[in-house]
Amino acid sequence: MSKLLHRSLKRFIIYSGLVLVCSIPVYYITISFLWQYEMDEHNIILTDEALREDRFLIVGAVTLLTVIFFALLMAGFILLNRKISHQLWQPFYKSLGQIRNFHIHHQRTLSFESSDIEEFSELNQSLAKLIAGNITAYDQQKEFADNASHELQTPLSIIQSKLDLLLQSKPLSDEQYHIIEDAHRALARVTRINKNLLLLTNIENSQFMDRETLDFSGLIENSISQFNNFITNKNLLLEDAIQPQVFIEGNKILIEILVNNLLTNAIRHTAENTSIKISLTPHLLSISNPGPVALRQEQIFRRFATASSLSPGTGLGLAIVKQISNRYGWNINYSFSDGLHTFQLLY
Amino acid sequence: MKILIIEDEVDLAQSIGSYLADEHYLCEYAVSFAAAMEKIDIYEYDCILLDLMLPGGDGFRILEELKTQGKRDGVIIISAKNSLEDKIKGLQTGADDYLTKPFHLSELAARIYSLIRRKQFENVNVIEQNELKINLLSKVVTVNEHPIPLTKKEFDLLLYFISNKNKVVSKSALAEHLSGEVADMFDNYDFIYVHVKNLKKKLSEGGCENYLKTLYGTGYKWEI
Repeated sequence: MSKLLHRSLKRFIIYSGLVLVCSIPVYYITISFLWQYEMDEHNIILTDEALREDRFLIVGAVTLLTVIFFALLMAGFILLNRKISHQLWQPFYKSLGQIRNFHIHHQRTLSFESSDIEEFSELNQSLAKLIAGNITAYDQQKEFADNASHELQTPLSIIQSKLDLLLQSKPLSDEQYHIIEDAHRALARVTRINKNLLLLTNIENSQFMDRETLDFSGLIENSISQFNNFITNKNLLLEDAIQPQVFIEGNKILIEILVNNLLTNAIRHTAENTSIKISLTPHLLSISNPGPVALRQEQIFRRFATASSLSPGTGLGLAIVKQISNRYGWNINYSFSDGLHTFQLLY
Repeated sequence: MKILIIEDEVDLAQSIGSYLADEHYLCEYAVSFAAAMEKIDIYEYDCILLDLMLPGGDGFRILEELKTQGKRDGVIIISAKNSLEDKIKGLQTGADDYLTKPFHLSELAARIYSLIRRKQFENVNVIEQNELKINLLSKVVTVNEHPIPLTKKEFDLLLYFISNKNKVVSKSALAEHLSGEVADMFDNYDFIYVHVKNLKKKLSEGGCENYLKTLYGTGYKWEI
């Protein structure tokens, strides 16, 4: 086990040492040879002139040699560095690749390769610990959501069944029937809020991760036909300009929820005998409905922001829409002009 | 008709039991995994209502056990879990139907009725009631041998009423039955009126006696 810096430094030091060791005999032999040559040439007698001449030669030779060794050293460093980086950082890139491909909902535990470099082995250990912690937290949250749904749905179903039974008992007065029906309505609302809260948790937990290419035009047409009962009941006019063959990528259930929530919103808050406009182009879905006053821009996508005794909704529909668009990196905008609420989804 | 209710919430199990306790159904109860295993080991049922989360074990294991024993009991899962995976897993493991809690007892009764009807198809593909005859295979309704043309929704409604005969069916239950998930986004069930009104009109014009009673604007009842 060694540190990353030490490892590369060690190699450089060893290499420089090797170059140094190699250079010593080369220097020695070259200078001796030059010296001998000079001796022979000048019959040992060294004149001042010769000395000066020799000095130039020696200095020149030494400089040349030094340059050669320097070049050798540089070339060696570059090659070594390249090789070391490639080799040394291999475990890092492997870990990086694993993290990049990791999705918490796939529940596939990561196994990092063991590395003999201290930093990487520490990094891998910390990553493994972090991911294991996250998986546990995710599992616990999922279990909590599951349990919460069970714990709440069960008493809700008991109430529902008791109300259904109560409805069967006789004799019941007109007033009693109405009390039961009101209780039914309130119960339906609680049930819906519970379902939607669970849905929000599930989206935040990054469930529904799978993506497929969907025929957005068909999906919207389908949703509209599902709402037909409610549209005709309110005597609304539906002006739709849906471009066919618009495709979108995402999870089918989530996209359906998004479209349904926007449609429900428009239908619910539109006065009778007016019209709703829906248009779809390859990058924009726009739904608008008439209304008297603008909604509070900064509030509408927040949970329970619109819930009041006046609106029968759960106050979660638009929060869910926002959450789903965030997940796919889409933009959902609200605007109000000329007595028309408009929601635009840019994808 | 024998029905086994596997549900650990005694209150809910009893409500289901008393709703279903008319001449057709005999209900038995199991409140734990072990009790349920014992019952399915010894007896045969026309329909089993199965809760997935049980004390002592997972409901899916009961399904698997039924499968390995080669039993042909019809199974309807009644569960608080509403994730798609659970629904798919349940239906793939051999359940016939999946109902998410909370549900209307009238919806459950309709599902049980249709399950049992499917299981014994040969005998009961025609429902007869006095002058009214419903062929479930061809989906043709006749009154005194004269056919009554009904839309799909009206046919659905008629079956729903008949599977809950002599019971008060609330408007919200009908709305959910007809529109599924979409209905519970709205609190306004007025569109039900139209369908029921049309059904009533068509039946009476065909010469059918008025079995369908309206109750104080709250619900409806098929009385015989």
